Amino acid sequence: MLEIEKLNAGYGRVQVLWDVDLAVEAKQIVALVGANGAGKTTLLRAISGMIAVRSGGVKFRDRDIAGASIESIVDLGIAHVPEGRRLFSGLTVRENLVLGGWRRNNRDLSRVVALFPVLGQRLNQVASTLSGGEQQMCAIARGLMSEPSLLLIDELSLGLAPIMVDEIVGRLPEIAASGTAVLLVEQDIDTALTVSETAYVLETGRITRSGSSRELLADATIQAAYLGLESQ
Amino acid sequence: MSQLLQAAAYGVVQGGLLGLVAVGFSLVWGVMNVINLSHGALAVTGAYLAWLLNLHFGLDPFLALPVVAIALFLFGYALQRGLINLVINAPIFLTLLLTFGLGLVILNSLQLLFNADDRTIETSYASQSLALGTVNVPYGRLAACGLALAITVGLAAVMTRTRLGHSISATGMDRGAARLMGIRARHVYAITFGISAALAGVAGTMIATVGSFNPTTTPGQLTLDAFVISVLGGLGNMYGALVGGLVLGIAESVGGLVLTGTWVNAIAMAVLILTLIVRPSGLIGKAQYSGRVEV
Repeated sequence: MLEIEKLNAGYGRVQVLWDVDLAVEAKQIVALVGANGAGKTTLLRAISGMIAVRSGGVKFRDRDIAGASIESIVDLGIAHVPEGRRLFSGLTVRENLVLGGWRRNNRDLSRVVALFPVLGQRLNQVASTLSGGEQQMCAIARGLMSEPSLLLIDELSLGLAPIMVDEIVGRLPEIAASGTAVLLVEQDIDTALTVSETAYVLETGRITRSGSSRELLADATIQAAYLGLESQ
Repeated sequence: MSQLLQAAAYGVVQGGLLGLVAVGFSLVWGVMNVINLSHGALAVTGAYLAWLLNLHFGLDPFLALPVVAIALFLFGYALQRGLINLVINAPIFLTLLLTFGLGLVILNSLQLLFNADDRTIETSYASQSLALGTVNVPYGRLAACGLALAITVGLAAVMTRTRLGHSISATGMDRGAARLMGIRARHVYAITFGISAALAGVAGTMIATVGSFNPTTTPGQLTLDAFVISVLGGLGNMYGALVGGLVLGIAESVGGLVLTGTWVNAIAMAVLILTLIVRPSGLIGKAQYSGRVEV
């Protein structure tokens, strides 16, 4: 569904991504892992049109979206839950969710409230007064309100308690099964490789490893580099 | 005493009108972080348009309002899309410079077309007043003030209740996040500027109906008033603009009893400074969307 080929992108004169290849199939959960500064956020931004693509192809449902505007990419069915969540902090949860469905004029909150029942109890609460985990739920729910077929989630676990991370990550298979594939960017590699089927490892702007998440999780070099485990 | 009451009543109706001048200015500042120094020039453009319609077709200024509003909306939309959008991400100094220059171009064009004479739109009801005891309030001013009130309430409702209003506030709060919701920020900015220009045109028409205007001194005075009122009431806040306008109108009118001529401007500034010392975010407080986050 999403096919990225030899993507080069960056900020101004600084190139961050070098010849990146990546693919996401429909209803799949794909993890993009790597150290801080590897270019994970940049890759999501290049997909959703927040930064310009220098060269290479980004195809979504067989349409070339490299260089398309953020808004038209949303129209095609990609929702981006940005780093830091970027909720409209002075507005209520309900207003945030309705803004998420703005483009399609979708005001039906039932799907996202079923997914995150706690949001249902917080609908009239101002978003900035939610706990970190609830804010992340709200941000993901807001992304889902545009009824995307691909959801990009940047640093889901950032600043959250482990129990909250498990709670939210536990919802991803349900999201994928309902027709929204997920591309998850995570520094918490253990979590990311456990929930995903396929994974890509990004190091200083290049994809260095990719394949089945289960195999990568069992791989000794991955364990040593990212999980701090000594190889046996 | 009756002199004071008369001054206060005049201050209220004048203040409503000033609020109408400021509400669009405040909207653009709050949403786009652009201090539009051509706002007064846009208001006077509206005034000339209504004046022409009255002169050539005998159209009552209140009936000319829709025409003026639509014309100024389109002009404002095009200005934002074609010109101001170029500097929207630039430091504020550049937007000040651009809008100041734009104001000069507009007012010099108007002067070239219509010369620098003071103009007013003559109406049959201009000299008639509503007598409340010893206080007289001209009907024209009363209607203008009522219109300002209605427009402010209407605009606040649009901002909080409608899809368009939500897209404007969201873009003002966090343009990057708004774009990720599929909101076309450039279009929203242009619509916001168009609304602001339309409101300026309406305010200009009302000023031309209840008083007089010219292309040389009126634009600068209106821009200054709009600036003071926006900061006074609370940036980007619709009701703030109205309350700020009323406070300024009453202060200038009552202060005018004691002080003369251009000292009235000093009163406006004194009121502003005192308010900012006591309430730095303005009388009503800043609008939610005026604390912007960049992409």
